[in-house]
Amino acid sequence: MISPSSFGFVADFLLRETAMVCEPGKEYLVEARLLPLARAAGVADVDRYVDLLRTDAVERGRAADALTINETSWFRDLAPYQAFTDVLLPQLLAARQDRRHLEIWSAACSSGQEAYSIAMLLDESLPPGWTYRIHATDVSPTMLERVRAGRYSQVEMNRGMPANRLVKYFTRVGREWEVSADLRRTITTEKINLAAPLPGIGLYDFVLLRNVLIYFDVDVKRDILRRFRARVAPDGFLMLGSTETTLDLDDTWIREAAGRAWVHRPRQPAGVRPATGTATATSPATPSTSHPTRLTTTGA
Amino acid sequence: MHALIIDDSRTMRSILRRIVVDLGFDVTEAGNGQEALTALEDGLEPDLCLIDWNMPLMDGYTFVTRVRADPRWRNITLMMVTTESEHGQIVRALAAGAHEYVIKPFTADAIVEKLELLGLAAQEVPA
Amino acid sequence: MTVLTEPSSFDVQAVVDEVWTTFLGGEPLVPVAPDFDPAGTFPGSRWDAAVTVSGAWHGLIVVSVNDAVAHAVTQAMLGLDDGDTAAHEDVVDALGELVNVIGGNIKSLMDGPSKLSLPLVAQAPIQAGGIVETCRLDLAWGSHRVWVTVGTRDEGGTS
Ligand SMILES: C[S@@+](CC[C@H](N)C(=O)[O-])C[C@H]1O[C@@H](n2cnc3c(N)ncnc32)[C@H](O)[C@@H]1O
Ligand SMILES: [Mg+2]
Repeated sequence: MISPSSFGFVADFLLRETAMVCEPGKEYLVEARLLPLARAAGVADVDRYVDLLRTDAVERGRAADALTINETSWFRDLAPYQAFTDVLLPQLLAARQDRRHLEIWSAACSSGQEAYSIAMLLDESLPPGWTYRIHATDVSPTMLERVRAGRYSQVEMNRGMPANRLVKYFTRVGREWEVSADLRRTITTEKINLAAPLPGIGLYDFVLLRNVLIYFDVDVKRDILRRFRARVAPDGFLMLGSTETTLDLDDTWIREAAGRAWVHRPRQPAGVRPATGTATATSPATPSTSHPTRLTTTGA
Repeated sequence: MHALIIDDSRTMRSILRRIVVDLGFDVTEAGNGQEALTALEDGLEPDLCLIDWNMPLMDGYTFVTRVRADPRWRNITLMMVTTESEHGQIVRALAAGAHEYVIKPFTADAIVEKLELLGLAAQEVPA
Repeated sequence: MTVLTEPSSFDVQAVVDEVWTTFLGGEPLVPVAPDFDPAGTFPGSRWDAAVTVSGAWHGLIVVSVNDAVAHAVTQAMLGLDDGDTAAHEDVVDALGELVNVIGGNIKSLMDGPSKLSLPLVAQAPIQAGGIVETCRLDLAWGSHRVWVTVGTRDEGGTS
């Protein structure tokens, strides 16, 4: 088992490079994730491998990749995507009549399922003449490479991809499935570390920041939410993971029900209302039966 | 809710059974399409069929075609669970009337997520 | 466009890995140096499970394991408790489904259309006339060995 000093080193560099908290008790996990890398690097055990990390920046990138959790799936949790097509998109279409373009950000995008899921919904529901861009960002270069390749294994395809969309948007390449060039063209990628100052300027109409805040401690979470506040359009939306919330964290956000999901909107200074002003909170206690739209158009 | 699991492998039927039982389904098993069709003729009314493709006597593709041709079984949700994984095979199965398609090997999560998609398993409602 | 006449061993390895870890979890398969001649002796009593592919591509896929692995695989796939031993028919069924899934995924690597046979499982070497071995994986599963061979019909791959 990994020595306390090696574990301390790993936890420390993970915290510095990704802000992820790796508490004592996770030794087993660290050992399991690093052992294959140690073998690949030709060293005897994980402690020897950690010695390597102290001096080797490339190896350190590999280790960070192996230690972060990239778990994701297509249309993850469904309800947020249903909310996007049924509730958010109609509002955004009304608000962006003049521009006819939507800017979307998938922050902590992992291997890209989140970004491509949104791209499929837009492909199916955007009126003619509209364009969109989805900016997919992550701290892991390996994940960004995967987003650009747009190739997924059989097991990954099984995770939530409706069959009718699989045949519509993917072709088989060897043992993998490749997303269509048309969708890939709508995605841009960039390495962005959420724990560091956010590069670039500009406002997004819809931001997905899902299943990543859970890995940070409360101060980092608070700081990220504060900085995201400046990147979401006044009439735009922020979507967090199903178990994540801005409640008790940041009063610059308003939480609203959208179908069966929650969305967050930047709270406006007193007296100022978002341009659309149409968002009325419906109670999530009266959920989806009122939404006949299904995410999948299943066979007859 | 009732699921009819159709696969010539008992091992596969038992893997699928464990997953859907956890979701609250009652389960009937059949070892091929013919046996499954007989069960339907005898009055079994499943909400869901999980259907293998390659089986002796009657394959899953033929079973789907037969079920879709009969208005009595219009409300049954049909999901292929098979190792057939060419693009063309999936298109064929959907055109024949299958609602969803899972490729073997799969994780339990994959089956659950597909059933959520089909409205046959409850999604978790956020707090 | 190049037409594949046989699946690459890289792809076969990836398919086998994916199927194995998805169904059996835990211990992965690790490539090892070849250490037995599948046609010759076998350490421990041998199980072969095979499917054939016929159509645009003609192939034979065989998974070979010893008795201990055969039972362990069956136990894991059926979710049996450690104490329970798998019956003979259970082993036949589980190995058959394992090779069915591996074979189906290998079939999809090749240009179609092709048809997958029902699995054949025997406690003896399985061969097929006119098929030559084009890919062989020597794998370790813990302290045990697992072999996967893919054969292709010996006639230039035209259809
Ligand atoms: C569990 S995945 C979530 C993927 C996707 N958003 C979803 O909900 O399915 C978490 C992702 O966050 C990324 N990540 C971890 N720390 C990060 C950081 N400091 N900055 C940016 N991304 C980070 C990981 O690389 C990983 O891809
Ligand atoms: Mg079968």
